[in-house]
Amino acid sequence: MNLAQILFYIMAFVTLGSALVVAISKNLVRSIFMFFVTLFGLAGLYVLAVADFVAVTQIVIYVGGILVLILFAFMLSGKQTLDAVAQQQNKFISLGNLYAFILAALFLVVMVNVVFKADVNALPWVKTAKETGNVIPVNQSGINNIGINLMTRYLLPFEAISILLMIALVGAAHLSRKEGNA
Amino acid sequence: MITLQDFMLVSAALFCIGLFIIVAKRNAIQILIGIELMLNAAILNLVAFGRYDRINNGGQMFALFAIVLAAATTAVALAIILNVYRRYKTIDADKINQLKD
Amino acid sequence: MNPTPFHTDAQTVTLAIIAAVLPFAAFALNFLVFTKSKAAGWVSTTAILGSTILAATVFARVWNNHTIHMQTVWFTIGETKVQVGVLLNNLSVLLLGLVSAVALPVHVYGTAYMKDDENFSTYFRYLSFFCFSMLALVIVDSLITFYAFWELVGFSSYLLIGFWYHRDKAVAANKKAFIMNRIGDAGLLTAIIILFTQFGTFDIDALFGAGGLVAKSALANGLWSAGSGSIPAVWHYVAFGGIFLAVAAKSAQFPLHTWLPDAMEGPTSVSALIHAATMVASGVFLLGRVYPLFIGEELTILAVIGCFTAFMAATIALTQNDLKRILAYSTVSQLGYMVMAMGVGAYSSSLFHLATHAFFKCLLFLVAGIVIHEVKHIKDENNLDIDPQDIRLMGGLRKKLPVTFAVAVVGSLALIGLPLTSGYLSKDGILIQAFDWSEAQPGILKLIPAFALFTSWLTAFYVTRLVVKVFFGEFRLLHANPGIHVHASDGGFAYKIPLMVLALCCLFPLFSVNPLSYETSWLYEGLVAKHSEGGGSIYHLLIPALVNIISIVVMYAAYIIYVKRDTVPFPQTGLFYRISYHEWYIDRFYNRVIVKYTVAFSNLLFWVDRNVIDGFVHLLERIGRCIAKAAAWCDKYIVDGALWLIAKLVQEVGGFVRRFQGGKIQYYLYSMLLAVIAVFIFKLIWA
Repeated sequence: MNLAQILFYIMAFVTLGSALVVAISKNLVRSIFMFFVTLFGLAGLYVLAVADFVAVTQIVIYVGGILVLILFAFMLSGKQTLDAVAQQQNKFISLGNLYAFILAALFLVVMVNVVFKADVNALPWVKTAKETGNVIPVNQSGINNIGINLMTRYLLPFEAISILLMIALVGAAHLSRKEGNA
Repeated sequence: MITLQDFMLVSAALFCIGLFIIVAKRNAIQILIGIELMLNAAILNLVAFGRYDRINNGGQMFALFAIVLAAATTAVALAIILNVYRRYKTIDADKINQLKD
Repeated sequence: MNPTPFHTDAQTVTLAIIAAVLPFAAFALNFLVFTKSKAAGWVSTTAILGSTILAATVFARVWNNHTIHMQTVWFTIGETKVQVGVLLNNLSVLLLGLVSAVALPVHVYGTAYMKDDENFSTYFRYLSFFCFSMLALVIVDSLITFYAFWELVGFSSYLLIGFWYHRDKAVAANKKAFIMNRIGDAGLLTAIIILFTQFGTFDIDALFGAGGLVAKSALANGLWSAGSGSIPAVWHYVAFGGIFLAVAAKSAQFPLHTWLPDAMEGPTSVSALIHAATMVASGVFLLGRVYPLFIGEELTILAVIGCFTAFMAATIALTQNDLKRILAYSTVSQLGYMVMAMGVGAYSSSLFHLATHAFFKCLLFLVAGIVIHEVKHIKDENNLDIDPQDIRLMGGLRKKLPVTFAVAVVGSLALIGLPLTSGYLSKDGILIQAFDWSEAQPGILKLIPAFALFTSWLTAFYVTRLVVKVFFGEFRLLHANPGIHVHASDGGFAYKIPLMVLALCCLFPLFSVNPLSYETSWLYEGLVAKHSEGGGSIYHLLIPALVNIISIVVMYAAYIIYVKRDTVPFPQTGLFYRISYHEWYIDRFYNRVIVKYTVAFSNLLFWVDRNVIDGFVHLLERIGRCIAKAAAWCDKYIVDGALWLIAKLVQEVGGFVRRFQGGKIQYYLYSMLLAVIAVFIFKLIWA
């Protein structure tokens, strides 16, 4: 067991633990902030998957954008939401939660089962990639390669996604306007 | 050595937690958080597999695209939540049931 | 023998029918249009005026002419054709003219007499209806229609007796009259059924006409044989009994006479028309119609009953104090004369008396109406608590009501039967014929004319008492209540003219040129079947003299007794007084013996009905209810239960499915995810 593995377990634990707190916590503010932790944990996992650019993007977009948006919505939705914040349900597992838990547990069992059955470490194309050296090395950042690919191979998706993003933002702005001015 | 299988197990667990949040929570914002968790589980898979495509960087590219799409989704979803709140004075998904028969 | 060839029989019949129907038209008009209007009185009066003119025309055409009989088939049952039609002979046209002629003054009088009554229109409605029934009764030719109008006459009488329905006594009186008349109606119906069984027809002309079926039938060897067959003779007596009951009820003969004095609760003008002149005469009219049916003993019974009724009613009238009650008993008495006359074979005298009596009794009632009206006026004006019909309170009214007094004297003289009046002609005729008849009778029956004679003196006494108490002496009411305000008058022309017309009709010239001999009266001659040569009898001289001389003596005695009114002239404790005053205890007897036991029997029947029959019905009902409850239980829990189960099942399934459509997106999502995981699991296990 090397340091990377230890870090991986720590990161995995942080990620899953904070996600569980998000799921279990009745307090909206607390769950939002634990989601923040989860995102950081995930960013760590991306780093361990040798995707530092993605990890940074994750932090920038998610933590800097989405999380702020969520907090913003939370603030804007006013008194009722704040009441919901104060509202502490004393029952930990209600009936609805139980059904949801059973469903989630079923999914987990099925997916773990699938993961084990698929034997992802021995997939043909992964093996081929390992043999041909088409694996991102741990010590080498792939940011150059990503930039080149983004501007060449993935130019069309890049443009499409930027237009989509712009449309979404315009749409979101339009939706958020007061109806009287629409 | 961190294997693909480890990433996938974490991803599966994360996905299930997101799923649980979506189904169980009544607050629209928490449901949105659940969706984000599931998206992140998917992105984690992409990133993990993306390690074995050094030349084309397909996994990481799609992870990036997914992150951007998630941002767009979140923006629109939050706008919708605000509108819903403005109309129903609540963001409790249980109470917004005009779709029923 | 048709002296006026331009008159056809059909025309005459049409006129007669119109005369009968005109009052019905007035009734309908009043019923539909003039329900609250004073015009109702003039509508009815105009109608009866038309009827009178038409009746007079018909009378002129038919009287002493041939009988007119027209009929048409009403309906056919099997072989039997029931005819309906009009029979006009001397008898019916006489009654037709008489009824309308008496009804006309009464109508005119009524417009004034009833003008303050709130039910003015109703009064004339009923009166017109009565006139229609009565006029139709006298002209119909079939026993069936006769019976129908007989009932209608009784019914309108019932309505008019109870006209002031807010008075308990009036309601009791009209019930009494109705029940008494029902007894008579039952008798008439029985007689009609027997006659139909025997002869197979309802046609009065065919039955009782000259040479009709009844005349051809004979009683022999205990059998009553007609042309077609024979039935036991007892049915003949039953038929007679039925007709007698009908006559006794309608014409107030003993033992069914007690309703008539009580019937005086109606308006006085009604009493004048219905209960003095016309309706009560319909019993005698019935006797006249079916006269050929009767045989010897039956006629004797009629004579006895009539004589007894006349005598009894006269004795009762001696002591009564109610003005109208005296006149009512007088009417009963005079009707007794008529029935007796029928019994002794004085057919035409009986009907002659019917005609004259109608006029003078109607007149006397109208006089009584004015007197009562004026006394009531005084009573209301001075707030006195008196009975306005009590003659003990009256007196000296001849100065206040001169016209009324004059016509009252004329009417009274006619009732007593003094010469120069119509009453003399008809009453003496009856008496003379009664004496003639008694010659041939055995034993005690010889007393009948003597009683009749005695009754006529009693009549003289009570009539004089009445007139003296009302019109002579001093006004008792004023004497007892000094200082009261008294003003009274004869009233307007609507009062005076009918009185004077009727008073003229009470005098002899209307009926006979010779004021002393009834046999020369055109009316008598027109009705007598064969001209009897009884003129040589000693009674023709003796009776009138005897009657009149003693009557005058009696009247003078009565005048002397009653004109001094300071003391009670006779002891009021004697047996005879009490018998007379309490109306021979007949009502009391009826109440004690018949009514009491009838009521007791009715109560018994009611008890039986309530406890036995109703009990049985209740038992059935209870059983039915138990069955129904069991059925209801089955229905509810088994049939409905099955339905309910199905419905509930569907509902539950629907509700279960519906939950997925709760409008909550999380449920949709949950369902979807459940489906996905199901597919996954399926794939994993079986793939």
